[in-house]
Amino acid sequence: MTVYLLCFVLLLVGIYGVLTKRDLIKMILSLGIMGYAANLMIILFAYKDGAMYAILTKGADPQQVVQQMVDPLPQALILTSIVIELGITAMLVALAIRLYEKYKTFDITKIRRLSG
Amino acid sequence: MKHNTGMTLIVRTVTRVSVWLIFLYGMYIILHGHLSPGGGFAGGVIIALGFLNILLAYGRDFVDEWLNIHLMKDIEASMATLFLALGILGMSFGGAFLANFLSKGELFRLLSAGTIPILNIIIGVKVSMALFIAVWTLAILHISKGGKE
Repeated sequence: MTVYLLCFVLLLVGIYGVLTKRDLIKMILSLGIMGYAANLMIILFAYKDGAMYAILTKGADPQQVVQQMVDPLPQALILTSIVIELGITAMLVALAIRLYEKYKTFDITKIRRLSG
Repeated sequence: MKHNTGMTLIVRTVTRVSVWLIFLYGMYIILHGHLSPGGGFAGGVIIALGFLNILLAYGRDFVDEWLNIHLMKDIEASMATLFLALGILGMSFGGAFLANFLSKGELFRLLSAGTIPILNIIIGVKVSMALFIAVWTLAILHISKGGKE
């Protein structure tokens, strides 16, 4: 239970960063932290005490070893999630660069003229 | 104004040697994707980081001369088509989308696991090209130094 609460605290750290920081780059980093917290939560659901990674090794009996493995499905889902997060981060950075080109600042309180 | 000419001689020399090892390691991760941790995405990211290493050490102009970015874009786009083609081949031979239609071979051999190594290679090439092109696109944006609006 504690690990889930700590995971939620990590999500709160990300939300705090997005809400309070003025710098665009810091906001993008905070969004990344939020994504990590979500990924970590789903990975933690698959955790089993004393279990091993879900990879067959040489010499192991498949029938027996499968019982001691963690659930590989969340890991496969998280791989997709990481890729999507990468795309989101790249797009946000590109938008931040365009904003910097136009306004010469990353401070969101100074980005006012949003038209034209 | 001359800019983006890369880093110092030391960084360039180290990069010239180490980049090929990075590429080799990425290929190893991709080719052993069905046997060990890693696979297409992880290996593709490693190869893209190798390209990124060159971009950082040698600068944008060198990379534009050395690599054919348009060809990379075409390869990256064609890999998605190849993946779809393999999926449809699985549908016609194996009964379901992406179903295996090759011999599964012996467990723990490099040439085994049917179509999975082929899909790993396709994903690896696609990820490496796409990630490098994304960073390269961010790098070609011309950013002037700060100042008032």
